Amino acid sequence: MIAPVSGASRKGEPRIPVEDRLFSLVLALLATEAGLLKAEILSSVRGYAERYDDSGQNANLERQFERDKDDIRELGIPLETVESPDRPGDNQALRYRIPKGLYDLPDEVRFTPDELALLGLAAEVWREASLSADSQRALTKLRSLGIEPREPVIGYAPRLRVRDAAFEPLRQALDRRQSVRFRYFKPGEGAPRERTVDPLAVVLHEGRWHLHAFDRDAQDPRTFLLSRIIGPVEPVPGMTFDAPPADIQDRILAELDELRSRNAADLAVTSGSDAEVRLGRRAVLRDEDAGVIRLHYTDVAVFADELAAYGPEVRVIAPESLREAVRERLAIVVAAHRGGGVE
Amino acid sequence: MMARRSKPLKAPDKLVFLLSFVPYLLEQRVVDVTEAAQHFGMTEDEIRDAVRLIATSGLPGSTGTYQPNDLFDIDWDSFEDDDVIVIVHHVAIDDAPRLSAREAAALMAGLQYLSASPESAGSASLASLRAKLAAGASSAPSRLAVAETEADASLALIREAVAEGRQLEFDYLNARGERGRRRADPLRIISQDADWYLQAYCHTREDVRNFRVDRMSDLLLTDEPVGDHSHRIVPDTLFQGSDSDLDVVVDVSPAALPLLSDYLADSSSREVDGRLRVTLRLAHVHGLKRLVAGLPGLVTVVSPPEARAAVADWASAGLAGYSERGSAESEARPSRPDDGSA
Repeated sequence: MIAPVSGASRKGEPRIPVEDRLFSLVLALLATEAGLLKAEILSSVRGYAERYDDSGQNANLERQFERDKDDIRELGIPLETVESPDRPGDNQALRYRIPKGLYDLPDEVRFTPDELALLGLAAEVWREASLSADSQRALTKLRSLGIEPREPVIGYAPRLRVRDAAFEPLRQALDRRQSVRFRYFKPGEGAPRERTVDPLAVVLHEGRWHLHAFDRDAQDPRTFLLSRIIGPVEPVPGMTFDAPPADIQDRILAELDELRSRNAADLAVTSGSDAEVRLGRRAVLRDEDAGVIRLHYTDVAVFADELAAYGPEVRVIAPESLREAVRERLAIVVAAHRGGGVE
Repeated sequence: MMARRSKPLKAPDKLVFLLSFVPYLLEQRVVDVTEAAQHFGMTEDEIRDAVRLIATSGLPGSTGTYQPNDLFDIDWDSFEDDDVIVIVHHVAIDDAPRLSAREAAALMAGLQYLSASPESAGSASLASLRAKLAAGASSAPSRLAVAETEADASLALIREAVAEGRQLEFDYLNARGERGRRRADPLRIISQDADWYLQAYCHTREDVRNFRVDRMSDLLLTDEPVGDHSHRIVPDTLFQGSDSDLDVVVDVSPAALPLLSDYLADSSSREVDGRLRVTLRLAHVHGLKRLVAGLPGLVTVVSPPEARAAVADWASAGLAGYSERGSAESEARPSRPDDGSA
């Protein structure tokens, strides 16, 4: 773990590995009640002290400290900044500390071997790099409790992928309460339009990731499909917002459920087809003789894409909007594939 | 906890490990290097390196010189001679660190996804587990959620078959549209997003196959035990190549490329009129026509001509269903399966 790093500091000592410096910083800040001044940290904490210049040329070291603080906070460690009561606003008089009461995992948060096995499985769900890394870090922290999980479930591998490029920048913006800008292609509009929003929640519903956000231009909350965000999601410098209610994500899921229960489609499915078998599983009503099923759906465009894939195996009877959307999609596919290929 | 890792840890991950390792060692009092390595899913050398780092770490103290009393200390004899770790003096930390908002949210959303699985012991325990994670986070967990869905009724039965090692019989409709009764030795259940699959040794095909759970019907859990398949490789991915695979060149809108990631034959692509020209590899044209028709306007088949024609025919046949003026009123309306009334 202590990787020998080539290159030496000015004092000719081996360079201290990053994790050693971060570990030393966390220990020092946990041990102090009143907090440490930046100058005290840089001149005494291992990893900084070796490079500290008594004559005051420490700009690089200060930048290093700023980055380290960010890294430590990203890990959920409550690193606090305390202003000097005598010298408010004076950066040199700021003190840094990690209050032990906010750092320690509360006593009531303990897990049974069964629960840990389930958490291990929950961590395995994520195929996406940052969610997977976050889950693994959480498990490492919970391992410190020394409880052996029940034997992992064999023969079982649940996975969830995130294939929308907008996901990770939005999740970061969500955590940092940072407003963002992106281009959004709304079905029915001719071209993508730029939106500036405060991201409030990201939810997966019916297999699609949705962003619930406050639209700054419309001055109203809106829900967006991540798959319709075109191009990059960019933070708007200096624009932040207050924390949304703690249960907002559950409220949005309930709203999407409600929307789904209001939309019903009647579909004629070919007997014995893939459409009959697979769509039939989701049917809320069915007429076996006529081969007609009724399904709920959330979004016309999304559901129309899904139905178009079934080609002649399914035909929309109602509503007209869905019928038209599927017809239009099939026509697009036909037009794109008419005649010989281009090469 | 069966941690598996292929990439070297980054510095923040190493820090999290150090901060978690210390309270573990304090709690255990005396622990073998082997045992610790197993518990954290690390190599024994990584554990020994971490012990040495911790043993020389501590507080700068009032003099800023890291005096012995401000440092961690271990029983060096036990460590050097017996590979046993005992912390004899500790500073600053003794408890597990809290989770970050992101970490808690990732596990909480993962648990929500598991609610659809037969493994979750009911949503009540999942809810209490989620509440515990939230309480263990240093700030309110990120507003990230996954809609809880109902588990497919067949899954519980399939799960039972896997766990007990019993053969399954079921009707299966494959992607080619062929239906048949299958007998299989279930090996593993895999899910991908909203779709569930059974990986099983199929007695009919005499090979390991992936079955979509939503294409299986009339399941029967037999009393026949499964055969020994320890010599067989159960693929970790759902889509495997074979010699009979079909290579298809398509133009795809760049935004839709991730949706084709399972099918890309290689990583090469070139730009053609603002779209990316890539090669897909699929088992047969039946999969292709469904894939392309489900991404209308985003993917166009370039070659071979048969594949292009198959997609055109599929979509045309679908479109034909809308050409005659069938009015919705004359159609049969679906009724409730139980009482026959609408």
